[in-house]
Amino acid sequence: MTPGSIADAAWNSGAFQGLELIQDSLQVQISHVEARTPGEQEEALRAYARQGYALIFGHGFEFQGAAERVSAEFPLAIFIITSGEQLRGNVAPMIFRLGEATYLAGLVAGGVTRSNVIGFVGGIELPPIREAADAWFAGARASNPRVTTRSTYLNTFDDVAAGREAAVALLRAGADILTHNADQAALGLFQAVKEAPSVYVFGANLDQTDLAPERVLGSAVIDLPRAFLAVAREVQSGTFTPHVESFGLASGVVRYEPNPALLHLLSSDIQARVSAARDSIIANDRAP
Amino acid sequence: MRPERWRALTALGLALTAGLVALAVSLTLTGYDAASALSALWLGGFGTSEGLLSATLPRAVPLILIGLGLGVAFRGGALNIGAEGQFYAGAGVATWIGLSLGGWPRPVAVALVLLGGAGAGLLYGLVPVWLRLRFGVLEVISTLLLNFVAEGVISYLVQGPLMEPRHIYPQSALLPLAARLPLWTGTRLHLGMALALTLAVGIWVFERRTRPGFMLYAAGVNPSAAWIMGRIDTRKVFALALLASAGLAGLAGGAEISGSTYALFQNLSPGYGFTGIAVALLARLHPLGIVASGLLFAGLEAGAGAMQRDAGVPAVIVSVVEAAIILTVLLGDAASRRRLSPATGI
Repeated sequence: MTPGSIADAAWNSGAFQGLELIQDSLQVQISHVEARTPGEQEEALRAYARQGYALIFGHGFEFQGAAERVSAEFPLAIFIITSGEQLRGNVAPMIFRLGEATYLAGLVAGGVTRSNVIGFVGGIELPPIREAADAWFAGARASNPRVTTRSTYLNTFDDVAAGREAAVALLRAGADILTHNADQAALGLFQAVKEAPSVYVFGANLDQTDLAPERVLGSAVIDLPRAFLAVAREVQSGTFTPHVESFGLASGVVRYEPNPALLHLLSSDIQARVSAARDSIIANDRAP
Repeated sequence: MRPERWRALTALGLALTAGLVALAVSLTLTGYDAASALSALWLGGFGTSEGLLSATLPRAVPLILIGLGLGVAFRGGALNIGAEGQFYAGAGVATWIGLSLGGWPRPVAVALVLLGGAGAGLLYGLVPVWLRLRFGVLEVISTLLLNFVAEGVISYLVQGPLMEPRHIYPQSALLPLAARLPLWTGTRLHLGMALALTLAVGIWVFERRTRPGFMLYAAGVNPSAAWIMGRIDTRKVFALALLASAGLAGLAGGAEISGSTYALFQNLSPGYGFTGIAVALLARLHPLGIVASGLLFAGLEAGAGAMQRDAGVPAVIVSVVEAAIILTVLLGDAASRRRLSPATGI
């Protein structure tokens, strides 16, 4: 279940790819539905559980409350809530520490900016989104102390025109590097970037290089298919026990994917700092 | 039943069939299995107890309540396009009241929540009434614009004063058990349905059997005749009709909070206030017909979800098809009405 369109080239389409990967790898029946309002979300959760689906992904924190209510009645189903907040019976959260990747993107942003102004466009101000934006800003300040940061929240993940307007406003305010976490609304941001000269952008959630190959410096990626397939394998083999699943750089599920065509814009110093930071984040995670 | 009503129902049936055939053809042309999609539509809307009790009927409650109100408003000549905003006004105030009634006895708490919702909707409806009667601002415009105001205020509330206590997510805390409408165990169907049905019968009796009900009808059909010949204060009828519809939309918001979601969200409504207009028009404003058309639209939307889940028809095609069915049905209805009674519009 996704809270928005799977044509967003980001959060929701990644989830759908995960579903398709599960179907292809495990030869199981899959189903997807877009459920936007709280009522529709609970309705869809119930319908899937009633039909006997063994594993149900609610793709976003929005599904947490409804899943807790529905799960009490359907103890055999397993509910995975991406960006969920707590483990409750057979409802398990799957958390992505996207900030580890956006920090690396921030190091790059600090190195590439000329105006020393960078801007972020978010969908709704939710904790995982704010954390990823803060990490991006922190990365940029680490590589360039003179950077000033600006951020805008759209209060929607769907409004492409609003995403475009917010991007244009940030560019007018002097920003020359943008990033986002606004799913479908961000498609407007990429449009705005393509129309402005010498402005660069980062992708979020999926590798979004293809949206603007000459402008995307890199993407902070969540490999949703890989994470989904891992859980589905466990459920299929019966070894799954509900637990909090948290993925960072060390897991390989969260990654920073640079756009090879634009690597020449980065000084060797910045490139070295990015790989050093990546290694140290991974080492910290692996340390007991 | 009168013969013209039979003909109207036949026209409706034909239009619905035509809509479904158009759906089947367009699904086949776009490469989907029409048979399995239509079977999913039926099973998800009406054909299974899960679909009927947990999807269609819960969706029908707000549609019927809003439709009933708009039926009264349109009959009285008030073109209220603002049910969506009035629904949100009711939902916001109902949440605020419900959150503070933790220790109260359940019947009292639920009644206060619902009355609070209705009262809030009604107060919100006062704005367009005042603008119209004092300044002549058309209610079509004012109610439409007030929808955006209400949605903005709700968005502020769930990120401000009504935000859940940990201040993480843009939604309110959950209502205490005392403030929740009783559920039919094992389903999502709540007691709001009984309320909607009772109100439908009540409004039907009011319109058919009482003097004010007749005045409402007369004022709506021909305001100047009602004013000159019948000494009916059409301004008052206009105001009361609009307020009644705003109150019912607010009640729908309260019932949705108290019976279905238990918390306030900024995307609470999938457009109930707008679908409610189609619900009222399709039933030709007849209160009992509104119950039927509310169930029909709710079933279509619930079935559309099932089509997506069980037949893989993407959400976009589902909503296009839904709109096509609504248009076909309304078109058939309008055509039959013109043939029968050219003089009266709605």
